[in-house]
Amino acid sequence: MKSTYNSHIKRIVLGLVVFAVLGFVGKIVLTPKSFGKYGPYRADAIDEEANREIRHMTNASCLTCHPHEANIHLTGLHKTISCEFCHGPYADHIKDGKVYGKLPVKKKEEIKVMCLRCHNKAIQARPGEVIKTIVMPAHLEEQKVKVSHTCDQCHQVHAPLKYINRAKKIVGIKEKN
Amino acid sequence: MGKPDAELDKERRAFIKKVLNGAIAGSLLLVIPMPIGAATEEIPEQIPGIRGKKWDMSHQRFAFIVDITRCIGCGSCCVADRREFNVPDGYYRTWVERYLKDFESEVYVDSPHGGFDGYQSPRTDVEVEVRDTFFVPKLCNMCKEPPCVQVCPVGATFKTPDGFILVDPKRCVGCAYCIQACPYSARYLDPVTRTAEKCTWCYHRVRKGLLPACVNVCPTGARKFGDLNDKNSEVYKLLHEHEVLTVLKKDMGTYPALYYKGLRREVV
Repeated sequence: MKSTYNSHIKRIVLGLVVFAVLGFVGKIVLTPKSFGKYGPYRADAIDEEANREIRHMTNASCLTCHPHEANIHLTGLHKTISCEFCHGPYADHIKDGKVYGKLPVKKKEEIKVMCLRCHNKAIQARPGEVIKTIVMPAHLEEQKVKVSHTCDQCHQVHAPLKYINRAKKIVGIKEKN
Repeated sequence: MGKPDAELDKERRAFIKKVLNGAIAGSLLLVIPMPIGAATEEIPEQIPGIRGKKWDMSHQRFAFIVDITRCIGCGSCCVADRREFNVPDGYYRTWVERYLKDFESEVYVDSPHGGFDGYQSPRTDVEVEVRDTFFVPKLCNMCKEPPCVQVCPVGATFKTPDGFILVDPKRCVGCAYCIQACPYSARYLDPVTRTAEKCTWCYHRVRKGLLPACVNVCPTGARKFGDLNDKNSEVYKLLHEHEVLTVLKKDMGTYPALYYKGLRREVV
């Protein structure tokens, strides 16, 4: 192309036009579909997050299929404890409405560790009016049982005072406070 | 021959038909697997007035209240949270801190494994006379003015119209600006996906009328969650009572939607 007095301007303008077109096309191609619907983000991400798998259900969902446990659990002091905390999440047990895996049941020493998570008096930070706490070997000695006893030998884990209250009724001991 | 026989025949046929129908239907019931109370719709709603309605993002204003006076530091919330989101070991969406205060007002804080294993033993590494000690659960504050959203260069973290701060893992480039910006250290970089992650107040559960996993498992009711636009909700009542409710780092001007009841001034 033979240089004329305005060819440099033409070149600059052409360059700018190409730049603008490329930018415009790039913006259309690269911007996600729902970007900017509510703000400077992808609106679809909200629904994606909302459709995440629910792994924990509620106590009600567990107890509809386990009526025997429901009878015990809902009458005891432990009724506010979530089933899934000790046994594991619902999603590991039921999938698409069918039993899919077996959840573990805690045994012996595991139970003791579980109990002391909440009931250990050595942790001073526990507000006394909220929970009853005990010191561990001392409690067993006080109740005159072997130190090797695990908690569930006296306390029904779902309703901790079930056996104790029943025994007291039989023997005729009045509740001392 | 004649009428009586024909009638008997008819009756017999009807009877056999009935029995067969019943047997077929019965055996079908055995063959078709019945869903075991699985669908979310069958479980009682924990947050009333959500299910079965179209989600209107402008309708709700959620708040989270943590009652320090009721937290026993059992760590159920941490366990539930980790299981709900399959959080990798060593990273925490929510955690429980233990505060220890001596008579000189010196404060000692620890949080072994984020409180995931509970607090099995008293703190032995500080030999001071303890004046006061308590647990403080921490999680995302869902600020009204979130600093993390401001600093994100790609629009991967955002505030939804219903007030939740979420992360879009498809857009996140893992620059970790938001992790530095968060005054509450609620964020972490996921070691697998290399994207920012944080507590979402279980947005996926809330949208289906269930409480966040940590609120659902809390045995003492130290964690409360609800809609402030619903005048019957527990959080509405608590917020309108003469209770001392505070937020963390008020001076940062983030206006958190997470309130603490009975919080001591030592907590940061």
